[in-house]
Amino acid sequence: MSILDQESRSAPPTRESSRRPARWPARPWARDALFAVAALAVAFIAILPGRDGAGPSISLMQLVASMAAMTVAAVGLNLLMGYAKLVSLGQGGFYAIGAYATAWLVLDGGWHPLLAIAGALALCGAVGAVVAVASMQLRGPQFSVITLVLAILVERILNEGALFGRLAGYPNHAQHGTTGLPPIEVLGFTLEPPMIANTVATVMVPVVVVTALVVIVSRNIARSPWGSSLSAIGESEMLASHLGVDVFHRKVSVFVLASVFGGLGGVITTLCFAHLQPETFDIFLTITIVLAVVFGGSGTVLGPLVGAVGIVWLEQSDILAQLGDLQQEYISSQWYLSTPGLVGVLFVLTLFLMPKGIVGTIGALVMGRRQRADVAEDDGAGLQETAGLPATAEAVSDASVDGASPAGRAGEPLLVMRGVGKNFGGLKAVADMDLTVGRGQIHAVIGPNGAGKSTLANLLTGVYKPSSGSVRFEGREITGLAPHKVARAGVARTFQTPQLFHDATVLDNVLAGFPDTGRTPLWAAALKPPSRYRRDAEMRAEAERLLNLVGLTEFTRLRAGELPYGKQRALEIARALASQPELIVLDEPAAGLLATETAGLGDLLLSLRAHGYALIVVEHHMDLVARIADQVTCMDQGRLLSRGTPQQVLSDEGVVSAYLGKPMEEHS
Amino acid sequence: MDALVLGLVLGGLYALLAQSFVLTFITTKTLNFAVGEFVALGAFVVLAVAGWSWLPDVGKLAVGVLVAAVVGAAAYRFLVVPFMTEGEHDVRWLLSTVALSFVMLNLITNVEGPSPQRSETARLSGAVDVLGAGVSKQQLLIAVLAVVVTVLLVVASKKTSAGLVMRAVSQDPETTSLMGVSPRLVGMVTYAVAMGIAALTGTLYAATVGASPVMGAPLLVASIAVAVVGGLSSLWGPLLGGALYGVLSEVTSYEFGAIWGETAGLLLVIVVLVWRPQGLLGRRTEVKL
Repeated sequence: MSILDQESRSAPPTRESSRRPARWPARPWARDALFAVAALAVAFIAILPGRDGAGPSISLMQLVASMAAMTVAAVGLNLLMGYAKLVSLGQGGFYAIGAYATAWLVLDGGWHPLLAIAGALALCGAVGAVVAVASMQLRGPQFSVITLVLAILVERILNEGALFGRLAGYPNHAQHGTTGLPPIEVLGFTLEPPMIANTVATVMVPVVVVTALVVIVSRNIARSPWGSSLSAIGESEMLASHLGVDVFHRKVSVFVLASVFGGLGGVITTLCFAHLQPETFDIFLTITIVLAVVFGGSGTVLGPLVGAVGIVWLEQSDILAQLGDLQQEYISSQWYLSTPGLVGVLFVLTLFLMPKGIVGTIGALVMGRRQRADVAEDDGAGLQETAGLPATAEAVSDASVDGASPAGRAGEPLLVMRGVGKNFGGLKAVADMDLTVGRGQIHAVIGPNGAGKSTLANLLTGVYKPSSGSVRFEGREITGLAPHKVARAGVARTFQTPQLFHDATVLDNVLAGFPDTGRTPLWAAALKPPSRYRRDAEMRAEAERLLNLVGLTEFTRLRAGELPYGKQRALEIARALASQPELIVLDEPAAGLLATETAGLGDLLLSLRAHGYALIVVEHHMDLVARIADQVTCMDQGRLLSRGTPQQVLSDEGVVSAYLGKPMEEHS
Repeated sequence: MDALVLGLVLGGLYALLAQSFVLTFITTKTLNFAVGEFVALGAFVVLAVAGWSWLPDVGKLAVGVLVAAVVGAAAYRFLVVPFMTEGEHDVRWLLSTVALSFVMLNLITNVEGPSPQRSETARLSGAVDVLGAGVSKQQLLIAVLAVVVTVLLVVASKKTSAGLVMRAVSQDPETTSLMGVSPRLVGMVTYAVAMGIAALTGTLYAATVGASPVMGAPLLVASIAVAVVGGLSSLWGPLLGGALYGVLSEVTSYEFGAIWGETAGLLLVIVVLVWRPQGLLGRRTEVKL
C-alpha cells in the first residue's frame, strides 16, 4: 500500500469521523472530483502552446506526446510492479505491439482507425493473458526473465519480419509508397499529428485526455479494495489468498490490464509520430519504462506520471548530452558516459538515494510530519501505555453487535473434520484426525512441537490439500478447496508470526480484511460508482468498530509496523474479523506475548466467543488454554492423543508424558 | 544432421555462459543481467594485452578472466548486496544490474567504438568434420570447454570444502553465517568465478566474430534461456538446456529461416517454465508458512 493510498484512505481524523459519520460520503467524492478536474486541467495546459500550430511549438508537442505515451505505459507497469510487486521487463514489448498493431491494422488491414486501436489493445490484452497464464507460477527473477524474453522476441520480430519493413521502418517507401500514416479521421474531425508546421496538432487533444483518464482510473483502482488485493499479493500471496483473493485470477487480470496500458502507450506513439522504427522499441525502452516507475515512485499514484515526464524530458533535452560533452572535455575523450550510460547511473542513484522515488519520498516526509503531529495530539497515550491487549469487557458492551454476526445459533456443529490425513512424501504429518467445532465454541489444539497442529490448521484453511478424509463447514464440503474459497466460506485465520502490511496504517490493514478485497470487480474499482463510496464509508465505520473491539482505536492512523508485538496480534485478529467469518483459526496467538498481554488476549478471545464466533486456537500456553477453551484436543505425532475439557486433557497422563514427562503444574 | 551437430556446438557456447547465471543463482539467488557486458569486457581486456608477446595465450586469457572476476566481485558487493536486503521478493538487484549493463555497454562503446575488432588470441583456425558436418575448431573448443567447466564445477561443489560452503550458503545463508562463514564473501567469490567464465566465453567467442561492445547481447538472451530451461539451481542444467535450445533453434532456422529459430528457442523457455517452473533439472523449493 502506497504512501498516497494511506493518505487518502485514512487522512480524515478518526474522532471527527465518528462524530460526524454523515459527512463521509461527500468528502471522498469531492476529493476525487477535484483530482479529476486537476488532471484534465494539467493535460490541457500542457497542449496550450500548440493551439495555433506554430512551427516552434511542434517539437514541444512531440515532447508532450512522448511524455503522454510513457506515462500511460508506466502507469500500467506501476499497477503490476508497484502494487503487486511483479517486476515486468516486458512492458516495452506491449508498447511495441500496440504501436505496430495499430499502424498495421490501419494501413495493411484497412480497418477504421478506432477499430484498429481497439484491435491493437485487444491483441496486447490477449498476448498479456497468455504470458500471464504461462508465468503466474513464477516469482522474482524468473518472472522478470520471462517478460524480458517476450520483449526481446517482439523486438526481434519487428527487426527481422519483412511484414513490418525491417529497418526501413513502418510504413516505408518501398512497401507502402509513403513514410507516414495518414492522419486518422474520427466523426468528421481530422486528427493531425504534431509533424507539420502551421497545422494544428489536433490529435493531441484526445491523447492528453486519454492520458489524464488513465491516471484517474489507475488512481481509483489503486485506492480500491482491488488495489488492496494487489498490495496483498505483493506482500505475500499466501496472505492474499487467506484474505479471500483468487491470487491466480487477480495476477492474470492485473497483468492484462498493465499490458493494455502498455499497448495504449504504443498507440499514442503511432498516432503522434505516424512512423515507427524498430530500434526505438528495444530493451532500452522497456528499461526506461521501469526506470520511470522507480524514479517517480513505485507504488504511488502520481509516481509513474512524474517519473515518465522526468525521464522523457531528461532523455530528450540536451542536459545528458551536455553532461557527456563535459566529461569529454574535462576527463577523457574516450572514458566518458553518454546518454544511455548516464541513464544507468541515474537508475543506480535512484535505487540508492531515493528507493521510494520522487513522489514516494515526498509523500513519506509529509506523512511523517503529519503523524508526528498526531502523536503529540494524542497526549502520549498510545505507545507509552503498557503494551498489552486491553480488557475488552468494556469494548464489548460499547460495540454494537451487528445483526450479521453469528450470535445466538450456538450449539450446532459448524466444522466437522473426519479422518483427515496429510502425508509429505513418506512422513505422515497428520493421520486420521477428527475435529468438530460448534458455533460459539473455543476449541484449543495443543501438543508438543511437530505434533502436526499447524499442519492441521493449514489443512483446514486450504493451504494443504488433505491426502485423505473430509472437511465440512456449515454443512458444505470444503475438502481441498483453495485458501481463498475457504476464506470466502467463512473461515478466517491469523498466523504464527503476524502477517501485516507493515507500511500501511492500522486502519488500512483492517480494511484489507473485508471480503471486498477479493470480490470487488475491476470495473467497479476503476469507475468508482456511487455504491463504491457508500460501501467505503460502511467499511470504514465497521473497521473502526472492530478496532475498538480489539482495543486499537487510538492507533488507527499509525503504521502497523510501529505497533508493539502484542498489538500487532490484536490487529491481525481485527483484520480476520473484518471478513465476517463464522470460524477463526488462530495459530499460536500467544506466542511471544508478555504475561499481561496473554491475559488480555484471553479476555479478547472470550469476548469473541460471547459474540458468537467459533475459534480454533492452536496454542502452547496451558494457562490460557485452561482459561478459555471449551474443548481441548491434544495431538502427538500427527494423531489424536486426548480430547475433552481442559481439566480432563491437561491431567491426562499420556498428554503429560508427551510433553517430555513434565508435570503439568509447572505450566499452569 | 548438419543442423543437429551445429545446434549442439552452438548449445555448448550458450551452456558455458549459462553456467555463470547458474552459479550466481545457486549461491546468492540473484542473476547478473550485465553478464553480456562482462563477455565484452573479457574480450576487450584480452585484446588490450594481445601485444604482450612474452605472455602465452593462456596467460592473456587469464588476465581477461581475472579483470572480469575482480569487476564482478565488486559489482556484487556494491550493486547487488545493497539491493537484496528485504527478503526473496526484493528484486531491486535486478534493476541495478540492468543499470550496470547500460553503464558498461556505454563505456565500452565510447572507449572502443561500436565496430567489431579482430581478435587473434586463443584462436584455432580451420574446421573439423564431425559426423559429416563441418564445425570450426574454435566453436568445438568452446563446446568442449563447456563440458569441462561443468564437470569441474560439479566435482568442485561435491568434493572440495569451498564447494561445501557454497552449497551450504545456497541452502541456508543465515545458519551458514552463524557457522562463521560470510555469505557475502562466498557471494563475491561466486560472482568472481561466474564473471570469469563470462570473460572466458567472451574471449573465445571474440576469436570467431570479433570483439564488439554489443557482442554479449545475443549471448545473454540465449544463455538466460538455456539456464532457465535447464534449471537455474542445477549445475548440469546448462548442458541439457544448451543442447535442447541449440538444436531446436538451429533445426528450426535451417527449416524455416533464422527469425523462427530464435522464436522457437524462446518459446521453448515459455513452455518449460509453464510445465516445470524450476526448469528441467532444477529442484523445487517448498514455500513454508
